[in-house]
Amino acid sequence: MAPNGLKHLSNALATPDQLSNSSSSIDGVPSDLETSIRCAGAQLTQAAGILLHLSQDIIARAVVIFTRFWLGADGGSLRIYSVKDVSAAALYLTAKLSFQPTSPRSVLNVYTLLLSRDASPLWFVRPGGSPEAPPSPETYILSEGGYQSARLVLLRTETVILRTLAFDTHVALPHAIALTYLRTLGVTKPAVAQRVIQYLNASLLSPQLLYVTHQPNALAVAAIYLSAREEGVKLVDCEWWEVFDVDREELGFLVVGMKSTEGFMRAEASQWNDKSIPMVVDEVEAEIERRRMLEEGE
Amino acid sequence: MSAKSRWANEDPETEAIIAQQKREKEEKRRAKAEKQRQLEARKAQAQQDADSQPPNGEPGPPKKRRRLSNDPDAASDHAAVAKIEQEQRQQPTLLRFPVGEWGPCRHVDNFEKLNHIEEGSYGWVSRAKDISTGEIVALKKLKLENSPDGFPVTGLREIQTLMEARHQNVVYLREVVMGNKMDDVFLVMDFHEHDLKALLDEMREPFLPSEIKTVLLQVVGGLEFLHSQWIIHRDLKTSNLLMNNRGEIKIADFGMARYYGDPPPKMTQLVVTLWYRSPELLLGADKYGTEIDMWSIGCVFGELLTKEPLLQGKNEVDQVSKIFALTGPPNSQTWPGFRLLPNAKSLRLPPTSTISSAGNPPLLPRSRFPYLTNAGLSLMSALLALNPASRPTARQCLDHQYFKEDPRPKPREMFPTFPSKAGMEKRRRHQTPEAPKRGQEAPELDFAGVFGGAPGGDTGEVGAGFSLRLG
Repeated sequence: MAPNGLKHLSNALATPDQLSNSSSSIDGVPSDLETSIRCAGAQLTQAAGILLHLSQDIIARAVVIFTRFWLGADGGSLRIYSVKDVSAAALYLTAKLSFQPTSPRSVLNVYTLLLSRDASPLWFVRPGGSPEAPPSPETYILSEGGYQSARLVLLRTETVILRTLAFDTHVALPHAIALTYLRTLGVTKPAVAQRVIQYLNASLLSPQLLYVTHQPNALAVAAIYLSAREEGVKLVDCEWWEVFDVDREELGFLVVGMKSTEGFMRAEASQWNDKSIPMVVDEVEAEIERRRMLEEGE
Repeated sequence: MSAKSRWANEDPETEAIIAQQKREKEEKRRAKAEKQRQLEARKAQAQQDADSQPPNGEPGPPKKRRRLSNDPDAASDHAAVAKIEQEQRQQPTLLRFPVGEWGPCRHVDNFEKLNHIEEGSYGWVSRAKDISTGEIVALKKLKLENSPDGFPVTGLREIQTLMEARHQNVVYLREVVMGNKMDDVFLVMDFHEHDLKALLDEMREPFLPSEIKTVLLQVVGGLEFLHSQWIIHRDLKTSNLLMNNRGEIKIADFGMARYYGDPPPKMTQLVVTLWYRSPELLLGADKYGTEIDMWSIGCVFGELLTKEPLLQGKNEVDQVSKIFALTGPPNSQTWPGFRLLPNAKSLRLPPTSTISSAGNPPLLPRSRFPYLTNAGLSLMSALLALNPASRPTARQCLDHQYFKEDPRPKPREMFPTFPSKAGMEKRRRHQTPEAPKRGQEAPELDFAGVFGGAPGGDTGEVGAGFSLRLG
């Protein structure tokens, strides 16, 4: 088969060097903080995509582009670019290239709400449950002046992302591949398919960055393996993953990675507990400073 | 060192080594066969074990355990067994996907500009040299006007589609580089000596029939690939078809290209340079598909035959009347439903449109293409069918009888070479009209004059954009 036809099914993957040296870590952002922020940024992208009524394939692509942006010494640094801006620009850019483009204004309205300290539904922006009084509209509605300046930031960040990724916006997703594999395996139970999609979407948030380290076919196979097990559906009694070009070792790694995402998210929620996760450069600086003071105090 | 060759010198040694290797191989084979037998016996055993196990939907662990088992009979040669197993396991070789990487854009300073080639509607193209490798490339600067929506979607699509469209008949996008300013973006592409438009202008005689087939087969081959990847080009014309001195044709300028879907998304009708624009686009269809590219191919085909663009309308109205003059006016049999298109309402067809169509689509008048064979004319007529549904797909086009009959397509290596304008000197601007600008309003067209000659400009004395009203 010509390699041409495979491009639709495969992705550019992060090099080991890109995975071990991020621009943020070079700039002195602790790696656990970087992971927390990146993961929260992925959730922010997902939430914004839902509020913008974008289809999940657009959102997933945006999260992958968002994730790629931060990797490697040539990637973006959390001390230079605000996570919220990169998230918004990744989503805007991905939607622009899709069949469902959206406007800067819609994107910025949604992000204003999601980042509102008083009204955001996101636990890492507004920790501590629902407020007693309904928030006042000024806290979550974008003013015209605010819009004009935010729009400039959005469009500039879009260009920064494009340059950082050398304009390669191609992202192949495992979702459709997984459904095809399920049919091939003769699995008809809808619960399995649903669980597969859930695993694939949850993996977008994985701290192991599964989407930039593994090809979509492997993600699909791992999600099927886990889902069939959990739904009690018996698959063919052979090493079926090899039919889909995944070896046992890769499958094993991915299964562990996908299973661990839930635990990671719980740990994050309890670790940050009553604090919000930094979403802009200033907050990242403050958090780094706070940690430094804590260390010196000890 | 004697008169003996230095190869012969090694002979005894090599022979010994070969013999040794042969012996070893023989032994290995025997050992392998033995292990194979043992293995099969154990496999059968394991199978029985597995069968007796309750099915748990978890095909993994038992096999792994078996593979790592250290049975007494295999203990002596465990490594060998493992090797055999490995070989067997590798029988179904796993497909390795092409793994790309990403990294930041390089700077345009890595290239030395040599000369200007041309200015298209979407950017300036110049010939340049990659300073590190010395390779000659084409450098296309994207025009990024202060767009209210950020990076223009057309530029993004051009890059996106070119990156994914890797085919021998599609121009190769090497990379995207940036300049000093935020909106300086350059596409680095393989350089090709000619474009077909300039070449046809320069040639004394048109291409030979065998050469036309070679050119057309490559264009349609590239297009077939694009369509198979859900990419629609939307600006095919001779000036966007590049040719190098090895007879290879490359489809270029993806400034209008985009992904489409099924069902097709709503797309702008302001696409394709006027002379190559299909009738359904001219009549205002907003749902269209790959058929518009096939129409353009028909126009390119005609241009290859005669060296002159086939349908040189002065404006949209004139273009429609030129088309109908060639194909005959549409009727509800050759093109069911054309009346429903937005701009068809004003279309007044001559009352003489007697239904004379023999065959669907009807053949074009033979007099326009006197040197074309019957098969060639049937292909041309199919490509220039008014009804998009009657046009062949790129795939069907490649299988057409025209390419199978004599004269056969000329081998690419036998293609004549021509002096390159792009490679040496500045080139004059083409006479072809430009592709429509994105964001323009689709004009409200009044086709009342297509057959009447009242408004519009089909009289020949009227220039583009200026119409002389007589009474």
